[in-house]
Amino acid sequence: MSGDSLPLPLPLPRFATDSCEATTLYRELRKPLLRYMVCLGLSSDEAQDVVQDAFLGLHRHLASGGSQENIRSWLFRVAHNGARNRQHSYERRFGTQLDPELDSISGEASPEQAVLEKEKLRRLRKAIGSLTESERECLLLRSGGLRYREIGEVLGLSTSTVGDTVERAIKKLAEKCNV
Amino acid sequence: MCDFSGKLVAWTDRELPDDEAADVEQHVPGCSECRTRVDAYREVSRAFVAHCDAAMRETTRLRLPHWVPVLASAAAAAVLLLMFRPTPVKQIPVVSRRADAAPAIVLETAPRPVKKVHRRYAVVPTKPAATVWEATVPAIRIAIPAEAMFPPGAVPEGITFIADVSVAADGSVQGLRLQQ
Repeated sequence: MSGDSLPLPLPLPRFATDSCEATTLYRELRKPLLRYMVCLGLSSDEAQDVVQDAFLGLHRHLASGGSQENIRSWLFRVAHNGARNRQHSYERRFGTQLDPELDSISGEASPEQAVLEKEKLRRLRKAIGSLTESERECLLLRSGGLRYREIGEVLGLSTSTVGDTVERAIKKLAEKCNV
Repeated sequence: MCDFSGKLVAWTDRELPDDEAADVEQHVPGCSECRTRVDAYREVSRAFVAHCDAAMRETTRLRLPHWVPVLASAAAAAVLLLMFRPTPVKQIPVVSRRADAAPAIVLETAPRPVKKVHRRYAVVPTKPAATVWEATVPAIRIAIPAEAMFPPGAVPEGITFIADVSVAADGSVQGLRLQQ
């Protein structure tokens, strides 16, 4: 037998690839995930915990050779289910959380503009409060940059159902806000 | 109502198939109703996003600690290090007894049998001494060089992490959180 030996297939290259993949996804999706969690009604700490768990799950998923397809919707789905498991805070309604004084009304706006902005905000909050849970979740995921197909994968809905739900929700908001 | 009104939201979201999107694109500029609707949908979508951003800012006003999920292995390593860290062993000096040393106790007379005294109210209930509990907050910081744990490029340069580990009285790890 010759002295040449076959190199052992060390797992390092795959590990490096997966780690880089996870790091890239972390940079790209951490903020949208946190935002989705917060808008679902979780506190800052709860949102961080859920998102951290989701990324740890992703790391395990990739390390165990899991599929890298549809990873964005995979992460959102895991985080969504994590939020579901925190029902006590999930029950808090997104539309009633914010203090209007704290919202993003520019400090440079004239008093008239500020009043108008506050009125628009009040109407928007009321309109958001009138959405169904599914409509709100679809809009939240849509505002996080997910495609209809991905939203469907997160919520367990068909793409066409997501399209109908988003359309219904947007029309409701436009109607109630008198835009 | 215009026939295209049911496709406008999907069109603004670029979710329509190419052929339908082309039809809508051709129709909208010439239809004032659809133009108004499209503007309204876009405005309300922007307002919704701004509202979400405001919710995010308000809730996370306190600075969020950062962490990286790829350091799950580092967390596991930290736990292992904690579990198997060498505990200092107290050395008890060994004293050899000399042969000519005096015995520890010298009895001049044989010990008498102990007389039992029965008292009806011998036992006086006493309050147990108040135990002073002190809150102990374990603060253990473990530094693991990233290059020792991961291949080059896996962890962004200049990022370090602190592992906050809660340790129970029996030495087991109760919780772990990575913070940047």
